[in-house]
Amino acid sequence: MVRHSHLSNRGCEVALHSYPAINHLERGKDRCLGREIPAATACLATMEPALKASVRRTLWDLTAGQRMRYLAAILAMAAGTVFLLLVPYVIKRALDGLTSGEATMRETIIPAALAIVGFNAIHGGFTYLRGRWAAEASEGIVRDLRHRLFAHLEALPCSYHDQADTGDLVQRCSSDVETVRVFLASQVVEIARVSLFLIVAIPIMLLQDLWMTVLSLGLIPVIVFFAVRFFHKVRGLFQKVDEAEGRLTTVLQENLTGIRVVRAFARQEYEIQKFLEKNGEFRDLEYKLFMTLTNYWTLSDILVFSQLGLVLIGGATFVMQGNITLGTWVLFWWLVRTIIWPVRRIGRVLADTGKATVAIGRIQEVLTVETESEESSSEIPVQGNIEVRNLSFAYADGRYVLHELTLSIQEGETVALLGPPGSGKSTLVNLLVRLYDYHEGSISIGDRELKTIRRDDVRDAFGMVLQDPFLYSKSIRENVTVGSANAADQEVQESAQAADIHENIRDFHDGYDTMIGERGVTLSGGQRQRLAIARAVIKQPRFLVLDDSLSAVDTKTEAQILRALDARRGQQTTILIAHRLSSTRLADRIFVLDQGRIVQQGSHDELLGTDGPYRRLWTIQGTLEDEISRDLSGGRGA
Amino acid sequence: MNSEWMDDDHEQKVDLRLWSKLLQYTLHYRRTAVSFTLVAFSLAASDLCFPLITGKLISDVEEHGADVDLWSYGILFGIVSLALCASVWGFISCAGKIRTHVSHDIRRDAFEKLQQLSFSFYDTKPVGWLMARLTSDCNRLSNILAWGVMDFIWGTTLMIGIAGVMLVYNWKMALAVLSVVPLLFLVSVFFRKRILRASRRVRKSNSKITAVYNEGIMGVRTSKVFVRADENLRDFDRVAEELRHHSVHTAVLSAIYLPIVLTIGSIAIALALSTGGHQVVVAGLVVGEVVMFMYYAQLFFAPIQDMSAWFAELQMAQASAERVLSLVEAVPEIRDNDNLQRRLSEHGSDGFPDEINTIEFRDVGFRYREGPQIIERFNLSIQSGQQVALVGRTGGGKSTLINLLCRFYEPTEGEILIDGVDYRQRSLHWLQSKLGIVLQQPHLFSGTIAENIRYGDPDADQNSVENAAQMAGAHDFIEKLENGYQTDVGEGGNQLSLGEKQLISFARAVLKRPQLLVMDEATSSVDTETERQIQNGLQRVLSGRTCFVIAHRLSTIRSADIILVIENGKIVEKGTHLELLQQRGSYYSLYTEQSMREIVRIDNVIDDSTSA
Repeated sequence: MVRHSHLSNRGCEVALHSYPAINHLERGKDRCLGREIPAATACLATMEPALKASVRRTLWDLTAGQRMRYLAAILAMAAGTVFLLLVPYVIKRALDGLTSGEATMRETIIPAALAIVGFNAIHGGFTYLRGRWAAEASEGIVRDLRHRLFAHLEALPCSYHDQADTGDLVQRCSSDVETVRVFLASQVVEIARVSLFLIVAIPIMLLQDLWMTVLSLGLIPVIVFFAVRFFHKVRGLFQKVDEAEGRLTTVLQENLTGIRVVRAFARQEYEIQKFLEKNGEFRDLEYKLFMTLTNYWTLSDILVFSQLGLVLIGGATFVMQGNITLGTWVLFWWLVRTIIWPVRRIGRVLADTGKATVAIGRIQEVLTVETESEESSSEIPVQGNIEVRNLSFAYADGRYVLHELTLSIQEGETVALLGPPGSGKSTLVNLLVRLYDYHEGSISIGDRELKTIRRDDVRDAFGMVLQDPFLYSKSIRENVTVGSANAADQEVQESAQAADIHENIRDFHDGYDTMIGERGVTLSGGQRQRLAIARAVIKQPRFLVLDDSLSAVDTKTEAQILRALDARRGQQTTILIAHRLSSTRLADRIFVLDQGRIVQQGSHDELLGTDGPYRRLWTIQGTLEDEISRDLSGGRGA
Repeated sequence: MNSEWMDDDHEQKVDLRLWSKLLQYTLHYRRTAVSFTLVAFSLAASDLCFPLITGKLISDVEEHGADVDLWSYGILFGIVSLALCASVWGFISCAGKIRTHVSHDIRRDAFEKLQQLSFSFYDTKPVGWLMARLTSDCNRLSNILAWGVMDFIWGTTLMIGIAGVMLVYNWKMALAVLSVVPLLFLVSVFFRKRILRASRRVRKSNSKITAVYNEGIMGVRTSKVFVRADENLRDFDRVAEELRHHSVHTAVLSAIYLPIVLTIGSIAIALALSTGGHQVVVAGLVVGEVVMFMYYAQLFFAPIQDMSAWFAELQMAQASAERVLSLVEAVPEIRDNDNLQRRLSEHGSDGFPDEINTIEFRDVGFRYREGPQIIERFNLSIQSGQQVALVGRTGGGKSTLINLLCRFYEPTEGEILIDGVDYRQRSLHWLQSKLGIVLQQPHLFSGTIAENIRYGDPDADQNSVENAAQMAGAHDFIEKLENGYQTDVGEGGNQLSLGEKQLISFARAVLKRPQLLVMDEATSSVDTETERQIQNGLQRVLSGRTCFVIAHRLSTIRSADIILVIENGKIVEKGTHLELLQQRGSYYSLYTEQSMREIVRIDNVIDDSTSA
C-alpha cells in the first residue's frame, strides 16, 4: 500500500532534534507518520497479559545474535550524548570568562571554539557508529525474522493454506514485519536516546543548581503525558483515514478494471459521482485529521514554550539574585532547548510502541502453527504398485470426500480417473503425494505404507500437473526446470515438444528466456497447462499425474500430447484425471468415481460392454454424430 | 499492488512550466493561499524574534544586574510564543487544507479524464500504472505544493531575515556565521539526493519481497510437489539480503550526513563565539549579543535542511508531475466532433432518429496504432432483430469487430453506418446508451446484487430488476441466497462464482433493454449446473433482439440468423447453420470439433444417471 512517503528518512528528524532550532519539518512530517497498520492498532486492548508476556519473550528471542551489536550501538550513543551535552558546558565556561573579564582569545575563546567543533565532531563520530550498528542489528534481526516466516510458510501443510487468507498472510509478512522493524530500528533507538539525554543532562544540571534543574525539567512530564494521551485518543481517526483511502482505492480500481462495462452502459457520470463521493470523503477525513493534529501541535508548542520561558525568565531572576552565573543560565537554557524536542516526540513514540506488540503477536500466530513434520530419508527408491485400501478422507471442515475407496494401480500402467467435480479425483492424487495426511484406510507404494516414506522422497518420484498450475514469475526455462535444475537445453526442448508448447515458446520474443508474469508475457490457460505438463515430464518421474490438465487445450493439441505420452507408455505409471472421453480412451484402465466411491472400473472396451455411465456417455457422442448428419440431410431436403 | 509502478522514476531537471501549471490547483483556494503566505511570514517573523529577545535579556541582565524589568520580558516572550503557536496552527491548517484539497482536485480531474479517454489509451497503460498516478503521485505532488511551497516561503523569509538582522547588528559576526551557509547547503543537497535515491531502492526491494511472499504462498502446492522449499528459500534469502543491504545503506548514509551537517553547523557557532568573543575582549561588546548570534547560527539549519530536502524531492518528483499532467491534459481520441457538440448543446440530441434499424460495415479496416492489419475490407449489413454469430479461432479479429461496432475503437479505413449515417457523425453517448454488452469476463462492482443489476438502468424499480434477473435465469440462485437481492457481491464480485457473475451481467444487460445486444460468450470451464443456467438464460436474452454474439456454444450458433466465420480479419464463410454445414468447410470442421469437446463431458452423464 502506498503511504505518504516524502521525506521518509529519519535522519533529518534527528538532526533537527540535536540542534533544536525549529521543528517545522517534524510538524510537517507528523501527518505522514503513524498510519502504518490499521489492523494492528485495533486489538491491543483486547490482548491477554499472558500473551503480551509471550510476545515480549518472542521479541527478546528474535534479538539473539544481534544483542552485542545493539549494546554497542547504545554505548556509542551514550558516549556521543556526553560529548553533545558538553557543548553547552563549554559555552558556559567561555561566557563566564567573558563576563568576568578574565577571558583572553588565546586561553579562553579559541580553545572553547575548537572544543565546540571538536565535541560536535566526536559526537558525530559516535552518531555514525550508533547509526551503523543500530541499523545493522535491527535490519539483521528483521531479515532473520523474514527468513523464518518464509521458511515456515513453505513448510506449513496444505490444510493450513486451504483455509488461510493469502492477503492476510502477506500483510503479516510485510506490514507487520515493517512495524517490528520500525520498532527495532527507530522506536527503540529513539527511546534510548531520550533516556540517555535525561540521564546525562540531569547530573550536569544538578551539579550546577538544584532549583534551576527543577525549573528546567518541570513541564517535561506534562509534555510527554499529553503526547501519549493525545496519540492514544486519535488512533481511531488515523484508522478511519486509512479506511477511507482504502475505499477510494477500491472504487478507482473497480472503475479501471471495469472500464468496458462503464462505457458499455454509458455510466461515466454515475462513476464520476461515485468517485467524487469517496474522494471527498477521504479529503474531508484527512483534513479533519490535520486539524486535530494542528490542535495537538499548537497546545504542545504552548507547553514547550512555557518551559523555555520558565528557564529564560526564571534563570534571569536567579542570575539577578546572584545564585547562578550568567554562563550557567545560558547553559540551562541551551540544554533544555537541546533535549525538549526529542522529549516531546517520545510521547508519540511511546503511544506507537503498542503497535509493535500487536504486530509481533500476529506474526507469532503464524509461526506457532505446526508445519509438516521433518522426516529422514530411507534411501529406498519409491517405486512399485500403488495400492489404496478402504481409504476415507475428510478435509478440515469435516466433509468426507472419499469413502472407503479401494483401488490398485500396477507399475507402468496408465489409468484414468473420471467423475464429476467433487467426486474425489483430485483429493485422491493429492493424498498420493502426501499433500494431506490420511488417517483412515491405507495407501501403499511398492508395499511400503505411504505415511512411512519421507514426503520429499514421495514427491520426488512423482511428476504432478496440478489442476490449477502455478507458474513462477521467472523465465520459461526456469519454470520448466523447477523440478530438475540440471536439465540440459536439449531435454527442456524435448519435454516442451512433448507438451506441444515448443512452437509457442519459440514464437516469444526471448524464446525460452521469456519472463512469465507481470513483467513478461501472460500465458493463456492452455499454454499454462502445457507448460505445467512440460515441467512434470522433464523430471522423467516414475509416476506421472495429470489432474484435469488438458481442459483448456483444443482437441488437436490434446491428441498430440496424448500421443506423446503414449509413446512413453510402460516407462512410468500414469494417472490421468479428465472430463473428456477423448482423453481417457488410451488408458489401460478407467475408474469412474462418484461421491468418493468407485462406481465403475475396467478398460474402455469392458466399460462399453456394460451398462453404466461410461456407455451412456459414449452413446451421446454417437447421438451427436447422428444429429449432424440429420441436420445435413434435412438441409439437403430443404 | 501499485508500488511497483511507483518507483520507476529518476531525478530530472526541474521543469518550471509543469510546476506553474500545477500551482494553478493551489490558486483555486485563493483565500487559503493568501493566508498561507501570511502565516509563513508571521511564523518566520516569530522565529526571528526569539534570539533577539534572548540576546537582549542576557545583555540587559549582564549590564544592569538587578534592575531589569523581567515582567516586560516575560510578557514579550509570552506574546511572541503565542504568535508562534498561532502561526504554527495556521501553518498546519492552511497547508493541510491545500494538501488535501489539491490532491483531491488533481485526482478528480484525472478521474474525469479517465472516463473520457479511449480504449486505445488504456491499451498502453496497465491498471496498476494508472492507479499509481491517482494515488502516490497525487499525494506526492500535493505534498510539494502544500508543505514544499510553504517551507520555501517560510525558509527563504527566515534566512533573509536572519541574515538581515545579523548584518544590521554586527556585520563581522554576521559574515562569520554566513560563510558556512553555502557549504552547508551543498552538502545537504548532495546527501539528500543520495538518501532519497537509497530509500527508493529500499521501497523497491520491499515491494519485491512482498511479491516473493505472495508467490511463495500462492504457489505453495507447486513448490511442495516439486520439492522446491530449499531453492525457494535460497531465492528468498537473496531478496531479503538485498533489502537488508539497501536499508542499512540508507541508514548509514544518514549516519554520515548528520554528523557532517552537525559539525559544519558547530563551525558556524564556533565562529560566532570566537568573532564575538574577540569583540568582547577588544571592543567591549556585550555577551548577550554573542549568545544571540550563536542562537541565530543554530536557527539557520532548519530552513537549509528543509529546503535542500524539498529541492531533492522536487527533482525526483519531476517524473510524477509529467505523468500526472500528461494524464490530466490527454485528449480522448474518440469523442464527439465540435460540430456535433454544438448541436448537442443546442438541441439536446444529434438530430437523427433514436431507433436503430440498419447497421452497415462498409469496407471497414482496422489496425491498432502501428500494429498489423487486423480487419480488412470488412462488409456486412444487418437489419434490426437479426442475430449475428461470429465464430472462428482466437486472434481472428472477432473481438475487434465488436469493439468497432461499440465504437470503443473507430475504423482506420472505411466506415460504419447506422441507418445510412457514419456513426462518427452521431453522438457517442447516444450509441453507447443503446448498447447492452455482456463480456467474457463478467465485471461486477462492489455492492449488492440489486445494485449491480441496476447498473443497467439506475431508475429501475425492484420489480423490473427481478424481471430482468428472471429473464437472464439468475433469479433462482439469487433467491436461494440468504440476503437475496441484497447480497453483497464483495470486491469485484468475488463472493460469487464465475457463472453467477455471468448471470448477473446478463441481467444487467437485459434491464437496460438495449436496442443492440453484444455478447462475448464465456468459454471458461464452469461446472455443469451453471453452464446449464447460462445456456437457458442466454436463449431467453437473445430471442427477438438485434445481437452480435461471439459464440462458442453450439446452441447459440445454431439459432443465429447469420453466422460469420472470421479468420484473419476477413469473413471466410457466411450463412446459416445449415448452409455452412453443407459447405463442409471451416465451419463444418469447427463445429464438429467443438461438438466433441462440448458434449463429451462425463459430468453431464453422471449427473443425469444419478438424477435418473
